[in-house]
Amino acid sequence: MRSRKTLAFTSILGLTLAMAACGGGDDSGGSKSINVLIAANTQYPQEQQAWQKSIAEQFRTQTGADVKWETFASANDELTKIQTSVVSGSGPDVYAVGTTFTPTAYSTKAFVTLGDEQWKQVGGKEKFIPSALGISGPDAQNQIGIPWVGRPFVMVYNTELLKAAGIDKPATTWDELTAQAKKLTTGDQHGLAVAYKDNFDPWKFIWGMSAQAGNPIVDGRTARIQDPAVQKAYQTYFGWLATDKVVDPAAVGWTNSQAIAAFAEGKTGYMALTSALATKALDAGAVKGKWQFALLPTVPPGATSRPANGVEAASILSGDNLLVADYSRNKDLAFQFVKLITDEPAQLEIYQQLGQLPSNAAAAQSLQSDPKLKVVVEAQQKSVATPFSGAWADVQLALTNAVVQSIPDLSKGSISTATIDGRLADAQKKAQSALDRAK
Amino acid sequence: MRQRPLWLLAPGGALMILVILLPLGLAGWISTIDLDQYTLRRWVQAPFIGLGNYTESLGSGLLHSIWISVSFAVLSTLATIPIGIAAALVTQNAYRGRALVRAVFLIPYVLPSFVVATVWRTMLQPDGVVNNWLGADGSLWLSGPRSYWALILVEIWAAWPFIYLMALAALQSVDHEVHEASAVDGATWWPKLTRVVLPYLRGPVLLACLLATLNHINNFTLPFVLFGAPAPDDVNVMPMLVYVTSFQSLRFGLSAAMAVVSLIIIAIPLFAYLRAVRLDVHEEGGRR
Repeated sequence: MRSRKTLAFTSILGLTLAMAACGGGDDSGGSKSINVLIAANTQYPQEQQAWQKSIAEQFRTQTGADVKWETFASANDELTKIQTSVVSGSGPDVYAVGTTFTPTAYSTKAFVTLGDEQWKQVGGKEKFIPSALGISGPDAQNQIGIPWVGRPFVMVYNTELLKAAGIDKPATTWDELTAQAKKLTTGDQHGLAVAYKDNFDPWKFIWGMSAQAGNPIVDGRTARIQDPAVQKAYQTYFGWLATDKVVDPAAVGWTNSQAIAAFAEGKTGYMALTSALATKALDAGAVKGKWQFALLPTVPPGATSRPANGVEAASILSGDNLLVADYSRNKDLAFQFVKLITDEPAQLEIYQQLGQLPSNAAAAQSLQSDPKLKVVVEAQQKSVATPFSGAWADVQLALTNAVVQSIPDLSKGSISTATIDGRLADAQKKAQSALDRAK
Repeated sequence: MRQRPLWLLAPGGALMILVILLPLGLAGWISTIDLDQYTLRRWVQAPFIGLGNYTESLGSGLLHSIWISVSFAVLSTLATIPIGIAAALVTQNAYRGRALVRAVFLIPYVLPSFVVATVWRTMLQPDGVVNNWLGADGSLWLSGPRSYWALILVEIWAAWPFIYLMALAALQSVDHEVHEASAVDGATWWPKLTRVVLPYLRGPVLLACLLATLNHINNFTLPFVLFGAPAPDDVNVMPMLVYVTSFQSLRFGLSAAMAVVSLIIIAIPLFAYLRAVRLDVHEEGGRR
């Protein structure tokens, strides 16, 4: 009996000691190191590890310090990490966050605002593609995000099918795209692949078409979702399936990767929203050697030229920004690290290993000689930032929700203007209430 | 009666305070402050807004979500009970291959929820195998009103082995003498089943119902992977609503209020259920 008690006591003691040890500081030991949080690359996991190792070695040669990598698997993981770090004031020194998440990160005020000195430390603002800086902060004086990599959106089309249909060049306006898609739809062949059930794709279409028509959806602190431009965007987007019938009816169940897979089977003219990361999937399908990227149309639906107040948004500004945590005790080291991975050699290295496009202007320039990439690099230069507001997450959620709730109507083959207007009113209410709370 | 050494409960009590009561209290407090991405960094100083989050949560679809969650959970439980008990009875007596059948029955329960949801998601596509079997090409399972039934269907498929396991455990505890006695009395299989065997199952199965219903209500992975976020209104179950509110809208105060409201709303019938079925298995055993 006694021995059992002793055992229980020692094990509790051991547990307590272990817990105390785990809770201990993160900067024990003599050598310096920084913690970096990046997204786990599920498409190229081994290549990513090789890249991490190579960068860590370069950093050690340059500064003598180590890089400790942490990865997150989903946006949810990332947010939890940011929350706990922000609340506790300790955690990664450098974060890589998605462009559209940067406004939310900015609103937590937990990251270093970049002054002249910090920009100098990372090698100067001039070294980046100007458009890549579009979502670094609310204005030039209050930037927190340093552009790291780009993933601009483009269309991909089947060269053989377009040729067979007598189309000599891909569409540059949305109306032209619809018309070409109609021409391409025959028998079991469809003009267009669209991922209606994706959690993120729908709002990108709606925002792009509206911005081209002169409505960026968020205007200061006002949401402009109940607007003819937005209505027209939804009508066009739904119309492809419901009335034009140029999309496979099964597309109401597709996510982006399913739409790519459908296109890769070789019986679809266009896939309307993808990025250079799809290259591997495309080359694995029946379309190998028969596909090309093209810029997304930049003339709003219902028009033959862009109105004066419309913007030439070929893609949302997409990719990752680097943020340095305000609580970091290794800020200088963190900025040295940021400089290393945004300089030309490292930027070309990450493109070669992982297919992520450089934000570094010189590196981007050297990629333009590759004909396959020319379009993608151009899309990056013509990318336009989504509104910089802490409420943006709610706005894009409301825009997507309008599509999610419309899918049953869409599948029945008709969606009335009144139904669309009802959904827009709901989205407007949610978006406006989020903007009203913005501080 | 001798003084019992109640102090021995102290470590367990301390752990309960640390693991259950403290977080619960914290959730209660967060539900009264305006905690979002703007105030997160100085969360201790986040403005106190009293019941503001509660009134907002009632106006933002929470009751609809609770209704969906509870009805979905109860229907799933009701459907799994007969399946689970029948499966337990089938594997009660020894026969060739029984071990294999028992193992096969556990497959849905052993598979991670994520895998189950991914597989069903593929099968329930508009041009998927389910529609092919039914000859209902293009009908929607993952959006619109039918998504509710799709959720229940998949939940039943994944969760019935839990009832099966509990029922099987209870069957094993039926004394051998009872079987002999009913054989001596000349009871045929049906009276034996309904009057002798099933009463033994009452306690464990009622307990299993409770646990299963709570598991259904708390299941987040299944609807999330099946339908994605934002979810269609028909399957916007409570965990999905709380998830979207905290992790997409970043309204931590509001989502805490939602969690507290749902806790209260679910705790009331739960309490009534516990009182009604008196799950004191030992007491029952003593009486027998």
